[in-house]
Amino acid sequence: METYLEAEGLTKYFDGVAAVEDVSFVIRRKEIFGLLGPNGAGKTTTIRMLSTVLAPDAGDVCVGGHSVVREGDEVRKRIGICPQELALYPELSAVDNLVFFGRMAGLSGREATARARAVLAGVGLEARGNEVVKKYSGGMQRRVNIGIALMNRPELLFLDEPTVGIDPQSRNHIFETVLALRAEGTTVLYTTHYMEEADRLCDRIGVMDRGRIVAVDTPAELKRQVGDPDQTTLEEVFLHLTGRSLRD
Amino acid sequence: MITFFRHAFILAAKDTRIFWRDRFGLVLAFLFPLLFAFAFSHALEDGGPPAAAPRLTVVAHEQHGVLREIWAGLAASGWAVDERTRQEAVDAVENGEIEGFLLFPEGFSTSVTTGGETRIHVVVSGNHPAAEAVLQGVARAVGGRVETLALAARAVGALRPARPPDAEAMLEALRLPPLTSLEVTRTGQRRYNPANFTLPGYLTMFVFFAAALGAGAIVRERQTRTLERLMSTGVRAPSILAGKFLSGAGRGVAQLAVLWTVGVLGLSMDLGASPGAVVVVSLLFVLVSAAFGVMLAVMVDNLRSAATIGVFASLTLAPLGGCWWPLFIAPEWLQVLARLTPHGWANDAFNRLMLFGASASDVAPAMLALVMFASVFGAIALLRFRFSPPI
Ligand SMILES: Nc1ncnc2c1ncn2[C@@H]1O[C@H](COP(=O)(O)OP(=O)(O)O)[C@@H](O)[C@H]1O
Ligand SMILES: [Mg+2]
Repeated sequence: METYLEAEGLTKYFDGVAAVEDVSFVIRRKEIFGLLGPNGAGKTTTIRMLSTVLAPDAGDVCVGGHSVVREGDEVRKRIGICPQELALYPELSAVDNLVFFGRMAGLSGREATARARAVLAGVGLEARGNEVVKKYSGGMQRRVNIGIALMNRPELLFLDEPTVGIDPQSRNHIFETVLALRAEGTTVLYTTHYMEEADRLCDRIGVMDRGRIVAVDTPAELKRQVGDPDQTTLEEVFLHLTGRSLRD
Repeated sequence: MITFFRHAFILAAKDTRIFWRDRFGLVLAFLFPLLFAFAFSHALEDGGPPAAAPRLTVVAHEQHGVLREIWAGLAASGWAVDERTRQEAVDAVENGEIEGFLLFPEGFSTSVTTGGETRIHVVVSGNHPAAEAVLQGVARAVGGRVETLALAARAVGALRPARPPDAEAMLEALRLPPLTSLEVTRTGQRRYNPANFTLPGYLTMFVFFAAALGAGAIVRERQTRTLERLMSTGVRAPSILAGKFLSGAGRGVAQLAVLWTVGVLGLSMDLGASPGAVVVVSLLFVLVSAAFGVMLAVMVDNLRSAATIGVFASLTLAPLGGCWWPLFIAPEWLQVLARLTPHGWANDAFNRLMLFGASASDVAPAMLALVMFASVFGAIALLRFRFSPPI
């Protein structure tokens, strides 16, 4: 399978402390790659470097053939990012949010409006698209958050903990959206600390701990390394790899 | 370049949209300044001229019933009248004891009682616009009364040409009411209107206030990562700053439009001899405020400090800069301090233009100062801008 993203020796220090250290992995075209790790493992910092928001202190990333460090603009055209925060304007309607970000990403007003309609349908909000986002449930807001990242039809979509604190229906809807996106040919990087989520969605998983990648493989292969793949849960793999000590 | 403007405009349009949905923001931007301006204009109208010196020095070259009547009218209006000789008054002005006086020339009362032309001279030392305004006003008020008297005298004279008019009897007959209110005018026909300084004062205060509080919106965008999101779609820092600056300036211009319109139509405010300069000064002040809002947003780390510093700066700079009381009645040190604030420059320019009949070129230094403030604020914003929040 063709490689779409290749991270090589990614490193980031904050105040002299390594948040991400010598991280290398590849994501193949059209796969859902899960980045798993306890809080503070460095998942978000990694995503911010992959998506040109944060300059790495060392290393580089190649996205669709372009260097994040040297060809940021080329990379930006190809990616969509859904941060773990609700990065949107609650005072505006879902449509207005989508159109705004779409236009900022270079769409014309007309294109953005048409695209917003399609995206809303994709995340299951077409009926209430004109309501202001702050009246939405948490799950609906999360779906708008994802929708914004889809406005520029990204080849690679970053989803940073997209399902935190939402109802099962919304969560399920998000899973379906992600699977549909892959079916359309989108490559997805998905971070979470819900193991069953990763198990269900991801083609391959990278486990991060303390700023480093400690394992990369398919869920089944990771389980096999710990025990009987049919008996072992990803949760057990995770605890085996990252230890049982509490994280903040 | 096209992308830069495109991004800035789309961003500004989005912010403007959000602003019109923010009820508190609207009240602060439009309603508060109007309420304050209305309330204080009224209070000042009832209370007499704010710049009133309690003592009024007059010089008259004769003792006559007409003058006695005028002194009494002034006293009834709350003035303590000091009668001096011309030499005494000039000395007092020269040694700084008083700032000016009214001079009733020789033959004044005769002119009045015979219906002739009357004249009251205002003598002011050097640069005392406030004293000048007050004395001019008193002179006009007195002039108004006297004119009625002169007209009456002329009428009486016309009816009974054979007998010279008996001034004492005529005064008795007319029983002029005391001058209960003084019209303070500068020159010519223009009436002094308290709204002429209350409204500009509250306008500067609230334009700045609204812009400073607008900083919070930018900080929030950093915290919710919408700025990072924009960055990841290729939007550059200058576009974001320009967009924020534009939306802030747009809000300010809307405030100007509303406040000036209400001021002129509702408070009969008078923009003075050069209304164009008033508009330019207020637009420049809007630019300063918008730049300050952006700078503040860039300097602070979180919403709370944005709000705290925004409110603190607005409420400190407003009184220092003469938004709450006119600078021309403020003590010297305060007038010097006011020069450190954009408010001070703007209000000083407004006062000159709208109270003392200055022309555009008289307020050019103020305009220059405002441009400097805006540039410095803008430059700091550009240098310190960050997309991401500090941890
Ligand atoms: N802007 C920042 N400044 C300082 N430290 C940071 C910053 N961002 C993240 N960190 C630190 O880096 C580490 C990794 O954080 P993060 O990437 O957010 O982890 P995760 O997303 O896996 O929970 C944490 O210890 C966090 O406190
Ligand atoms: Mg995270």
